[in-house]
Formats: sequence, C-alpha cells, structure tokens
Amino acid sequence: MGYSGARGGLEAILAAEDLVRRARDQADAPWAPTGQITARFRLAVDRVMGEGGIYHEPTAAAALRQAEGDPLEASHLVRAHRTTLPRLAVSEPTDPDEMIVLRRIVPAYRAPEGPQLLGRTTDYTGRLLEQPADRPEPQPREPRDVRERTEGQRRPGRFLDLLRKLDLVTDQRRRDDPEPVDITRKPPRPPAARSAVLSSMARAETGGLVAMWYRSILGPDGHVHEVTMGEIRHGRLPLRVRHPHTGNPVDVGEFRVTEAEAIENLDGPDEDRTKLDVGYGLCFGHNERKAIAMASMDIANRRFGRSGPLEQLLLLTVDGLDSAGFLEHLKLPHYVTFRSIVERKQAMRVVAETSAVPAVRLADQFAKEF
Amino acid sequence: MPTSTMDLVAELEQDTSLLDEGAKREIRRAILTAVCVPGYQVPFGSREMPVARGWGSGGLQVTLGVIGPTDTIKVIDQGDDAGVNATNLRRMIAFSTGAEPTADSREATVIQTRHRVPEEVLSKQHILVFQVPVPEPLRGVEKSVAEAARMHAEADYAKIWVSLYEDLVRNGLITKSGGYPLLVNGRYVMAPSPIPRWDVPRLHQAEHLNLFGAGREKKIYAIPPHTDVAPLAFDDVPFEVEHAPGARCQLCGSDDVFLVDAGTDGGYVCSDTEWCTRVREKDADLSNHRDHAPLDLLPDPAARMAQGADVQPWVPPARVTGGPEWALRVTGIGKVHGAGGADAVAGTGPEYGTAISPATRAVVAAWDVSFDVAPGEALGLIGESGSGKSTVLSCVIGDQPATAGQVYLAGVDDGRTDVLRLPDMARRKLRIDGMAVVHQDPAEGLNLGVTAGGNIAEQLTAAGWRGFHAIRRRAAELLERVEVPLSRMDDPVRTFSGGMRQRVQIAKALATDPPVLLLDEPTTGLDASVAAGVLDLLRGLLAERDVAAVVVSHDFAVIEALTDRTVVMQLGRVVEHGLTDQLFHDPHHPYTQRLVAAARR
Repeated sequence: MGYSGARGGLEAILAAEDLVRRARDQADAPWAPTGQITARFRLAVDRVMGEGGIYHEPTAAAALRQAEGDPLEASHLVRAHRTTLPRLAVSEPTDPDEMIVLRRIVPAYRAPEGPQLLGRTTDYTGRLLEQPADRPEPQPREPRDVRERTEGQRRPGRFLDLLRKLDLVTDQRRRDDPEPVDITRKPPRPPAARSAVLSSMARAETGGLVAMWYRSILGPDGHVHEVTMGEIRHGRLPLRVRHPHTGNPVDVGEFRVTEAEAIENLDGPDEDRTKLDVGYGLCFGHNERKAIAMASMDIANRRFGRSGPLEQLLLLTVDGLDSAGFLEHLKLPHYVTFRSIVERKQAMRVVAETSAVPAVRLADQFAKEF
Repeated sequence: MPTSTMDLVAELEQDTSLLDEGAKREIRRAILTAVCVPGYQVPFGSREMPVARGWGSGGLQVTLGVIGPTDTIKVIDQGDDAGVNATNLRRMIAFSTGAEPTADSREATVIQTRHRVPEEVLSKQHILVFQVPVPEPLRGVEKSVAEAARMHAEADYAKIWVSLYEDLVRNGLITKSGGYPLLVNGRYVMAPSPIPRWDVPRLHQAEHLNLFGAGREKKIYAIPPHTDVAPLAFDDVPFEVEHAPGARCQLCGSDDVFLVDAGTDGGYVCSDTEWCTRVREKDADLSNHRDHAPLDLLPDPAARMAQGADVQPWVPPARVTGGPEWALRVTGIGKVHGAGGADAVAGTGPEYGTAISPATRAVVAAWDVSFDVAPGEALGLIGESGSGKSTVLSCVIGDQPATAGQVYLAGVDDGRTDVLRLPDMARRKLRIDGMAVVHQDPAEGLNLGVTAGGNIAEQLTAAGWRGFHAIRRRAAELLERVEVPLSRMDDPVRTFSGGMRQRVQIAKALATDPPVLLLDEPTTGLDASVAAGVLDLLRGLLAERDVAAVVVSHDFAVIEALTDRTVVMQLGRVVEHGLTDQLFHDPHHPYTQRLVAAARR
C-alpha cells in the first residue's frame, strides 16, 4: 500500500466546471442552437474557422457557444479537436482565380476590369447602435433585378494582371518554395520560406496581426509603408481532392475566403524603383482586416524580413494560442521557482551585509599587485 | 478493419485519444532523435492539446507519445500531486490512454512534472517527462532564434558565460535561480525546464530517462540515463543549490529536501508532498535519498571567492616555429559590388580614374591586392576614403565575401589553407585566437552594455577559459596595460569615453595573445589628443609583442607612427609599396605624395 495522494484538487476542478456549465448551459435564456450562431454571428464564426484552422461552420459555432463567445478560446477548442483527427486526404491546389466573388473592391483603380462589387458589408452604414427589444420586423422584399451575373461579374479579372500587362510589377515568382510548408507538421523557424510565413499569418490571431501591422506603421522601429490595396475579395472557392480510385480531381465542396493584394511602391536603394511589388493575403471566411494586414506584412517581410526581426515576429509571435497560452500560464502555481528566486535575494543580502570587500571592488584585489 | 471513409470516421468518433496515431509516431521519432543527441532541441510538429500552450501541452504530447495502457502515470506540479493542474492532467492522461493513475513514484512508470524532480530516487523503470515553457537557454542573452540556433550549432556559448561573469561581478554570487543552464554530455547547453538548482544534480548520470516537451515552442529534448550533466559554473566558483540555514520541513522534519514556504507565519514544508507523507509514515528510504541529496553544494560564501588569491599570471603558449616566415599572407584580393565579377574589372583603377566598371556599372572596390606580414612586423594600408583599404580588410576578416583572392595564416595548417574557403564556423573561431580585429567604432567590437572586464571575458571564455579568477586577473592585466583604471573594470563600457572604449577594445583583441592583429582606423573617431595617446599605446604594444599587425588608415601620421612597411591604395588598386620611412620621406607616386603632404600639414 503506497502513497495515495490528496484529492482536494479534483473536487475544486469539478466544482469550477459545474459553475461554468450551470451558468452557461442552464442560464434562464433561450438556447442558442448552432444554426442561430452561424446565421447571426457569421463574422465571429469565420474568425474562429480562420484562427482555428478548420473550415466547418457548425464546429466553429459549437466552439463559440462552449467558449461563451471568446473567439480565442473557441479557436483553441477547434484546434484541439483537429489534433484528434487523422488526415484522410490532402486537397488539390486551388487557383484563387476560380473564386466566385461575393464582394470585390479595387481601391487602386476607378474602373477595373469587372465590377466594384460592394456585397454584404457595413462599411458605409452609420455605426449607430440599434437596440431592438425583439426580432426586427421582416422587411418586405422588393422584387429585385435577378438577372444572372455574367461570368466576368462572377469571376472578374484580376487587377494585378493589368499591372503585369503594363509591366509595372516586379516578378517575384520563385522556384525554391514549390510546395507550401505545412506549418502544422513542420515548425517554421527563420529563415523560412514565404509560404511558411503566409501560413503563420493565415492562422494568426486577427487582433495580433493587426496590432503588428499598426506597430510597423507607427512604432519607432517599423518601416512598413501604407500600401495601396489592389484587390480585396470575399468569395467561394472549390474544395478539390483526387478520387482515390480514378485519380481524377473531384470537387467535394466549397469554402469562403477573403483575399487581399497590397501594392507597394518600391523605393529602396537595391530595389527596382521603376516598378511596384505586391503582397498577398488569404484567410478562411470573411475577415478583411486580417487579409489586408497579411498582405501588407507579406510585402514588408519580403523587403525587410531578414534585415530586422520582422520574419521572426511573423513566424513566432502572431499565433493566438501561443501568446495567450503563455500569458495565461502565469496563473499556474510558481511557488517552487519563486522560492528559488527569493533564496538568491536572501543570499545576495548576506553577501552585502557580511562581505567587507563587496563584489564591485573585486578589481582592487588585483590592483594591489600591479 | 475499417473499409471505408465512413467506417474510419465512425471509429474516430468513439476514440477517446487526444492525439491521432500519426502524431504519436512523429513525437516518438523526435524523442528518439533527442535521446541520440542529448540536450539538443529537436523541432517537432507540436499539436494543439486540450490544455493551453504553456500549460503542459508539450509534456502532455511527450507523455501520450510514450505511454500505453499497461503504464502507471504520476503527475506533479511544484512537487504536489494534488494541485489543480496536476490533477487535471492526470485525469486527462488516465482517461484517454487507460494508464493507471498513481501518486506513488515507486509504482509509476511515467512521471509528468512541472518544476520538480521527485525526491524519490528514480530508477530505470521511470521516464520523467518535464513540461517546458521556455526551451531556449540562450534566450536571455540572444533574442534572435536564428542566431541562437547558430550558437548551438557551433557550441559558441561565450555570451552565456559572460552573463555568469557579469552576475558574479555585479552581485558577488550567481543569482540565476530556477532553470539554471546546463551543459549536457559536454556539448549542448540546455534549459532544464525551470526546476530549482536543488534538482540539477539529480539529472547527472541518472538511472532514469528525462524527456522535455515544449509545446508552444515545438521542441523536444532529452537527457538519457548515464549522461553527464554539469551546471554552467566557473571552475573556481562552486555551483550552489537553494538553502536556508537550519530550515526543516514543519511536517516531516526533513532537512535534505527542497523546501518551500509553509505559509505567512514563516517556516518551511516539503514541496514534494508524496515524499513528505511517506517520511511521516516511515515508508521512505531515507539513507538512499540522503546519498543523492546535493548537500555538498549548499551555499558557502567563504568558498565562493576563496581561490582568487593564488591565481598565477597567464603565460601565453609558445608559438610554433618552423612554418612560413610570414604570419599572414594575402594574395590577389578583389571585391566587385554589382554584376560581372572579374569581367567588370577592365577599364577601372587609377589609370582610368574610376572604380566603376564601364561594362557593367559595377563598383570595383578592390582588385589584385597582395601583401604579407611577418611576426613582430606592422604593415600599413593607406589610402583616401573610398580607396578600398577597408574593403580589403573586411574581406580578410571575412565580414564580406571576396570576389577573388586568398588569405593564409601561418597558424592554420602551416599556411597552406586559404582561410576564406573555411566554413563559416571555422572562420568565426579564427577571430577568437587566430586573428583579432580592432574596429574604428568600438561599438562594433564591444558589447557596450557589458563591463570592461566582461568584454574581455567574452574573448577568454570563447577561447575556453573557465576560471573566474584567472579571467579577472588576465582582464586586469590587460586593462592595466592599456591604461584603463582598474576602478573602471566593473563598469559597463557604455559609461566610458571614446578613447577609453577604444583602449578596452584593444585589450579585448589582445586577450588571447593572437598572432595576427588587424586594426581598422583605430584612432580615427577620437579627439586629436586622445588619438595621440591611443597611438602611443599601440606603438608600445606592437613593439613589445611578436604580433603581425595590419593597420588601415587614411592618415600617414598614424601609418608612420605604427608601421614598418606600407601599401598605398588608390581607386581599389595598390599604386605603391615599400618601407614606411622611405615612402614617407621620399614618396614617388603623386598620390602618395599627396597623402604625405596631408599628414605633414
């Protein structure tokens, strides 16, 4: 019969879990079904899908409900869920030009090829707080012009192609990064391929990435330009895998992404100053803030990533699970290491009190000999 | 056997495991690598766990990778089985793997821990899995992960030794508390999660396997059984464990355990609650435990600095004789910035009045520059700014790659190997005791935040010095020689004047008595009177040493004061060379005449 340990810890944990469950699940309020969350909290769901790295709206919605609306906690639930899943297949590369756009704007050009399509956005709606007591009355739907969109409207040409035609863009296509680095399998460390940095940003915590972009604009050590946005798109792309028997690519679904292209005005001494360069951003769901920050940081990383700390910052400091996990670990008991710190403080005092020759005068010992 | 995707998915949904099997295999591969290379941080594709990164996600992955249903698992946090974090992890591991949970170390096969090694002496039945928040022992001295990786690869640990030196100088003892840096198997410096110093000796030549998992930073490392583990400590300043005189556990009375504060009324208790309980229940092997307790490492202020008095002055090792008569030989160095390489050279140089290639617009900064320097001789390299002299020097040092040419050192393979072709690591090592450099800007050669003595300690620890008092004595000798008052030895160089900084830089360069010394405009940034003093110092130093020196300067007065022979450069080419006296008194080339006239003005 050996030592059996105390059990107080488990009781406390179970009690804490019970408090959470009772307040959250048994609250005196109508239950929020998954469908309600995906329909009413679309942007939160999209953000969790991006930061969590799984494209599945019901999973993200369930995570948000369990996390009481905390997107970072919800992303953690989604990622830990993903850890338990095996890989059944690897999808085929998708050309973003296949995107059927739901929204598409080109700030850099008045009349680009294809539409400036506002789509579903509150960009131009006054930020006036509405506090309806009940569900708003459904608006009578005016019969709208339901003309089928043309192919050019559904899949508009890319603004960048125009710039390429005008020979205004440097050619940054590279052969040394043919297969995207899978950062979930291979930890990216500087120096890393561009695809690794892009992947890190695509999964980054949105606020963290935006803060890094803003710090690079306004911070004392940043040298990121305010770019001109060439293209901001939200739309649907096909998910395609190879059929296990025939080997042919098959569309098995579709997913929404936000895509951004940031046009940079090259002005460095070693750069082709007669040209422009382009940074790229792409993330799951509708999250324009993240895609624009990503595109801006992509071009900044190409220009300054290795000459300063930027590449390391993008690879290692923008993941929400990393930063929040490390911050929250400060809540764990640290009394062993703290005791070790205090012991040294006490030892230093003994040195200061008892030593007639304090450390700072050690040099004098030798001075006498010369 | 699942036959379809639907079967696979159905099977998954019943599975309680927290990690898929593919991930476990990957983790086991990383563990095997870690065991083969003790102390080396193996990167792995860390997965997200149901606990936050920083909450033991790395330790949990390692445990799940090695554990099976026949294992017995114990989890402790701060040495305590009952803490909420330990309890949570234990129930998670037991539930998802079927392993039997226990609080008794003697029954456990796998022990996952945060911040402690159990007091029970572990044996070969045990795998001890540490949760690691920060796996990088160099983070405190180097923030760039790429640079830290290079330092590990080259075993370039001078910076962390300097941090220990500075700690001793500033505080009179090493104040590093938990997570003390360890040298594992004589090769890699390792961060032992943060365990207290008390636990460090228990990792040395242990019977059990130690695995370290850092989930957030995606690293796994190991200390296999029977591996040497030594805390980084100077040979003459003993490593110390935590100790409070007279302290005993209030509960079990032990005085040979790691104790933590009992409460607000003072006193101490065991941090290891299992051990404490078993001592009280007389169910513990006390004598075996005491044999393994680090009682020989209790802090002893008297022993700390005791060995300072009898340090003998350092005598540099005798130079090997019989090689080539030169110490440094440079042949045909060329540097072209821009396109074309050697093809860009045509049409440049003094006879064309330009360094810019008419063919490719490349800048031919230097071309076909050759010289050699004998021990005890000083060679001057003079020219106006833009003449290419500093380019030649930085190519010789290896700071920029030369387009053409070779550099030989008598001390490297008897002068038969072109040191420019050596791997980066070998070339960097040359800077320690083969070929020292004094830069124009002291900030390039010194760490301004470190004391004068600490800067010299960097060079000495890089060269393998491990005696604190020997380092201090050598640093004091050198500072004395360069006329820096010893009262300033323990002040950060940032607080020094420009002339004093340059003297410290010279002392650092001479620390290991290198056979070759390269000086790049050593007095250029200084006031005239201060420069004169440094010049006097350098003249004396070069005269009394058997060093081969190259002095780069735009100022013929400096060259005349310090050197025996001189090479004159203009627009990237050597235009004249000869004995310094002759050139100075009877310059032939009009360009040399101009330089001499400028110096005499």
